[in-house]
Amino acid sequence: MTDAAKPASTAQPSRSRNVASRLAQYVLLQALIAALCILALRHPLSEPPSRYLAATFTLLDRGASRSVTLPAFVPSRAGMSDPAEFKARFDWSKTGADDAWSVYVPRFTNGIEIIVNGIEIFDSRRDPSANRPDRATPEIAVIPASLLREGANDLAIRLYAWGPLSGFLDQIFVGPDDVLRPYYEKRALLFLTLPMVFSAWQGMLAVILIVLWTVRRHEPAYGILALAMALGAIQPFLQSTIDEPAHPHLNAALIASAPLESGLVLAFAMLFFARRWPPYAALIFAPGIGLILIGLFASPDALRGAFLLLGIPSIAINLTLLALVVGWSELRKQDVPSLLLGCAVTIVMTCLAHDVLSVAQILPDRRLFFSRLSYSVLLIAIGAGLTWRFARALNRVDGFAAHLVTQLRKAEEKLRAAFVREQEQARAVELARERTRLMRDLHDGLGGQLVSIVALSERDQAASGVGEAARAALKDLRLVIDSMDDIGGDLMLALGSWRDRLTAQLRPHGIALDWKITPPGLPVHPELRPSHVIQIVRLLDEAVTNAVKHASATTITVSIATLTDLSGAYGCITVEDDGQGFAPASGASRSAGRGLRNMQSRAARCGATCEVVSNSTGTRVRLILPHRFPDSDAR
Amino acid sequence: MTSSAEDIPAKDISILLVEDDPPTNWRLKDALERAGFDVAAATTLAEARASLEARQPRVLLTDLQLPDGHGIELIGETRAHLPETEIMVISILGDEESVISAITVGATGYILKDAFPTDIAATVRELVAGHSPISASIARFIVRRTQSAAGPASGPPLNTTRLTPREIDILWGIAKGFSYAEIAGHLGMSRQTVPGHIKSIYRKLEVHTRGEAVFEAVQQGLIKL
Repeated sequence: MTDAAKPASTAQPSRSRNVASRLAQYVLLQALIAALCILALRHPLSEPPSRYLAATFTLLDRGASRSVTLPAFVPSRAGMSDPAEFKARFDWSKTGADDAWSVYVPRFTNGIEIIVNGIEIFDSRRDPSANRPDRATPEIAVIPASLLREGANDLAIRLYAWGPLSGFLDQIFVGPDDVLRPYYEKRALLFLTLPMVFSAWQGMLAVILIVLWTVRRHEPAYGILALAMALGAIQPFLQSTIDEPAHPHLNAALIASAPLESGLVLAFAMLFFARRWPPYAALIFAPGIGLILIGLFASPDALRGAFLLLGIPSIAINLTLLALVVGWSELRKQDVPSLLLGCAVTIVMTCLAHDVLSVAQILPDRRLFFSRLSYSVLLIAIGAGLTWRFARALNRVDGFAAHLVTQLRKAEEKLRAAFVREQEQARAVELARERTRLMRDLHDGLGGQLVSIVALSERDQAASGVGEAARAALKDLRLVIDSMDDIGGDLMLALGSWRDRLTAQLRPHGIALDWKITPPGLPVHPELRPSHVIQIVRLLDEAVTNAVKHASATTITVSIATLTDLSGAYGCITVEDDGQGFAPASGASRSAGRGLRNMQSRAARCGATCEVVSNSTGTRVRLILPHRFPDSDAR
Repeated sequence: MTSSAEDIPAKDISILLVEDDPPTNWRLKDALERAGFDVAAATTLAEARASLEARQPRVLLTDLQLPDGHGIELIGETRAHLPETEIMVISILGDEESVISAITVGATGYILKDAFPTDIAATVRELVAGHSPISASIARFIVRRTQSAAGPASGPPLNTTRLTPREIDILWGIAKGFSYAEIAGHLGMSRQTVPGHIKSIYRKLEVHTRGEAVFEAVQQGLIKL
């Protein structure tokens, strides 16, 4: 089964080898099933103890008299007037009060009368099911106690044989009813009750298939199978012509419908498994329809003859074709319905062959026909196969639904992501617009005024402190505006601008800036917000200001690098000076200490840590950035 | 760009300074004169036009907000009539709003109004030598425009399609704070050629018809009609 799921991309030779091995397996399996079937058929049905067997009979047939041992055959004859008569004797002695005796006839064709001591006690022709030669109806007749005589009693069986089969009488048992009846019941169960159960099953299948076909009109296979099942299901209700049914011709036609039924099953298999309809496929219905026409318009005898000549061979041909179609489907698709149906067809074919061979008296003939009984195996296979198909289809629908749900969820996620992205974009656009507006305002207003203050303070050399303050204010203004820009989480872009401002700041102090970037600089943080940028740049500004104001440094080195630890990459920015450091308790150190606390609280607000090392050869501020910036700065 | 330009004595470089704020005007003029340049100052658009006509200066240094008009107009006119004149815009914040708008009409440099006198003189000398200044934020603005074709952008419109991949790489380096030497080393070029590339970038960003430039400036609200 699993092989079918593999992609058909394997090379041609191995594929054909594969098919050959599968064919061999399939044929072997069918041979095994046939063998088991033959074993089961040859297994004799249980019989009553042989001491109750009435073995030796005198047969009066068409005026001639001879001694026979049952089972025996007599030629069939046209009418009811001249039955063959079997005569025998049995011994009876009264042993108990309620010790009823019976005559048990396991199998006969076509009709019998049982006569004990000259009085007729039973006529099988009144039992419609016994009149159907295709059913191995057993009979048991209780001998009225008043008829029995102490010692030897006469038993006579009149055998009517109206064709097309020859008359047949199996071994007969005469004995206590409580001994014989269980054997009778067993046979009745097998040959009467069981077929009735299967007919009911077939009727149910017919109803289910009709419903199916009504709902799915584009699949005629179901309609065809429904018709076949309906034809089969009415079989137990049909009577043989002996019973003089109300519509004898219709009745006869329907009894002979098995070839048509087999053709319909074959047609179903072709449509269901092969999904094709060859041009001359309709021919498979010809024998069946022909027989029904004969049944409707010709005599019962003609129908019986035609059934033997035309019906049985056409059933055999249909079964063979069915076996081929199903086997081919099993080889190609390897699904459960074809395998089940394939095995069932093998069983039916084996039983049919057995029946034909025993009718032709090639096999020992006990007139036990198993074809119809084995047909129930086919019905079970059809039911199981269809159910399997539906279960699979349901699974596929479930799978498809699950697939749809997954797709839907994916689409939803995409949509949500797109929405978030759009919102972010809109926010960025809004931010940029706001920044532009603010910048224009600042440029035209505050900025211009600050520049004027710088210029004025430079003209009146005295107020240089004011100029410095104005310059610092301008620098901070530039920082604030710059931080509002959308830098796409790349802190390097903010540091680039900071470098420009730092260069301008350091130049008048004569301090060199050594700017070192270890490529590729810093990792990109999509969660980086303007507030983080401001905190970081102000922190760095503070470090530089300390160096400028208190350290008497000649060079400030800024190093930017990405470090990696167990939980990933993180950025590290170092500001170093070559100044004198800050000694404890001095005025410079107090303000440096304040700056230090300031830096540390700024670092904490964006999840970073700030280490400061200061000694006589310089101060080093090391800012270690987080792996991920916090959503908002905790104030 | 050419070594001969750097040899020109400062007194032979004539500069027209247009700035309406008197203290700033004085401060810039003072810084340039101290460096030895030949400086003429104007405080209005009308004065500037007259002076341009009369002196045909080597360098034009102009503010954008003027009492009788907008510096963008002056830059456009100068670019059209005096193609040899180097144009610098005086910016307060070094922002893209004013600097990029000026670049699109023909400016190739900018100075900050509060820059130190030595820096002001050095920037002018560099520009005359063919070296345009650029800040990280301006570089950033340009490269971000090359990236995001989609989405409404704020700020002046900018056509970056004519920039080569190498020029965009240079801009990225500047935006991220790399030095010219580092950029040159990384891209396998000489450090001295980087400033020349900047000027070439500015030229490529220029909008070529004057009408187009003015139209866009009006759209941006830079010129209040």
